[in-house]
Amino acid sequence: MKHAATFLVLILLFALPVVVLALVSLAPGWRFPDVWPADFSIKGLIYLAQHQRQILMSLGSSCLFSLLTVLTTLLMCLLPAAVFARSNFSGKALLEGLLLAPALVPPMTFAMGLHFLFIKFSLADTLAGVVLILAMFSYPYMFRSLVAGFQTMGKDYRLCAENLGAGTMSILLQVELPLLMPAVIAGGSVVFLVAFSEYFLVFLIGGGSVDSFTGTLFPLLNSSNRSLAAILTLIFLCLPIVLFLVIDTILVQAYRKKGMI
Amino acid sequence: MSWTIKHCLRLSPLILPYLVLFCGGVFLTVCQSFGILTPLPHEGGALDAYAKLLADPAFFASFFFSLGVAAVSALLAVITGTILAYRVWQLPRQLATASLVYKIPLILPHISVAFVILIFWSPSGIVASVAHWLGVIQTLHDFPNLLYSGWGIGMILAYTLKGTPFSMLLVMALLFRFDVRQIQTATMLGASGLRIFFTIVLPRLAPALHTGFIILFLYSFGAFDIPYVLSESRPGMLSIHVYNLYFKHDLARRPEAMAILVIMFCFAVLFIIAYSKIVNRLESGVRKL
Repeated sequence: MKHAATFLVLILLFALPVVVLALVSLAPGWRFPDVWPADFSIKGLIYLAQHQRQILMSLGSSCLFSLLTVLTTLLMCLLPAAVFARSNFSGKALLEGLLLAPALVPPMTFAMGLHFLFIKFSLADTLAGVVLILAMFSYPYMFRSLVAGFQTMGKDYRLCAENLGAGTMSILLQVELPLLMPAVIAGGSVVFLVAFSEYFLVFLIGGGSVDSFTGTLFPLLNSSNRSLAAILTLIFLCLPIVLFLVIDTILVQAYRKKGMI
Repeated sequence: MSWTIKHCLRLSPLILPYLVLFCGGVFLTVCQSFGILTPLPHEGGALDAYAKLLADPAFFASFFFSLGVAAVSALLAVITGTILAYRVWQLPRQLATASLVYKIPLILPHISVAFVILIFWSPSGIVASVAHWLGVIQTLHDFPNLLYSGWGIGMILAYTLKGTPFSMLLVMALLFRFDVRQIQTATMLGASGLRIFFTIVLPRLAPALHTGFIILFLYSFGAFDIPYVLSESRPGMLSIHVYNLYFKHDLARRPEAMAILVIMFCFAVLFIIAYSKIVNRLESGVRKL
């Protein structure tokens, strides 16, 4: 009985919105006072098919800059995370606090100042500019995750590889990175989600020339035809889930091949 | 010496972008708030924009409104998230998988969460329909205009819905490392469920609650996406105010937009410092098990 109550709350809060979105996407004319849609139509789906190209383009563009953001944050954080996990130096706690700040302070505060710089260096309205700004405020998640990953891994693997004569690069790429994969995935999924769902920063720095899924969805939210917005929101929900499942499967297979699990 | 240089080199992939993009970005915001490096040459004193803001009651209204929306939504999200996480943690293993539905709002972008709130809570929305069906209201006009009440209720609902799973995630991470024997001992000694929750479980969860509150509070305080969908005109959130000044007014008002951002930035930094100091002081007196 106690568990049933917990479940009811979970479902009302988190699953019901999805059910309602699915209904709205099939019933554009669902209005007060109907508790259940009076009639269903596939107008939303037809519209989706008509604007297929534009929607797929923006979806692709969003995926591209989000994945590039994950890659950028990984490159930025890999070596520094190793330093933070393995050595103590004076001012480490302060530096760590400072480095986590971009995820806490409102991103507008530095992004709008940077906009000026990006215009000067013609980074505004480019993919590179969007990736840089997204990486700048999402890297703390990758950083935290990698530091934890390095700490769990310990120093032994590295020492062992060093004793066997491996160079710095081959230790990093062949020994440490495969072992760090769970941490990379954990940090990377958060960075991906943050980048994928951001509206304002992409709009500010991308200025309309970098397509984004949020940018396509936004004007539809307040339009009279809600079903298209509902369909796009459902796509929003499914795409990351599919992506995570694919990555998970690929990784499990890769580890099996190497005999690690 | 070589040790230090080696460390600096290894830290550089993070430190350099940090200095150029983050510190540089904040520096440029500060500069523009003083009228330096603005698109139009700034006429007048360096502190004009600040003087204008501080003399404007609308700015303060907007500042405290943002503060209120952020504080209420972060508090609600942390409380709901903690209770739900505790209950989900107690679920039998077979049911635990089904409880993963709580991750849905984590994946949804902020603007979609705002859209969900629109569908449910607008005057002709689902909640109104259900209320009508139950006979609570007779016509459309009987339903309170929650989204445009001037209290930011729509935004609070959206931020709470988005923030609850986030704090659940943080709390759950701590709960999985929690020693169940402490609860078993307390039960054997006759402690009630509530007493166990408040005196044994809650103190252990404190770090996650504090982190969650700081992150959610500051995010809602300065974010743009949800207010842009659910905004009420007066008093608006600060971010909407900045957006209007930046994009919709003429360039001469750029320093004002930047001055608001500088004030937001300083507030965020001061808040983090003050909050962690207070938490440290409170916890230094607590006996650790």
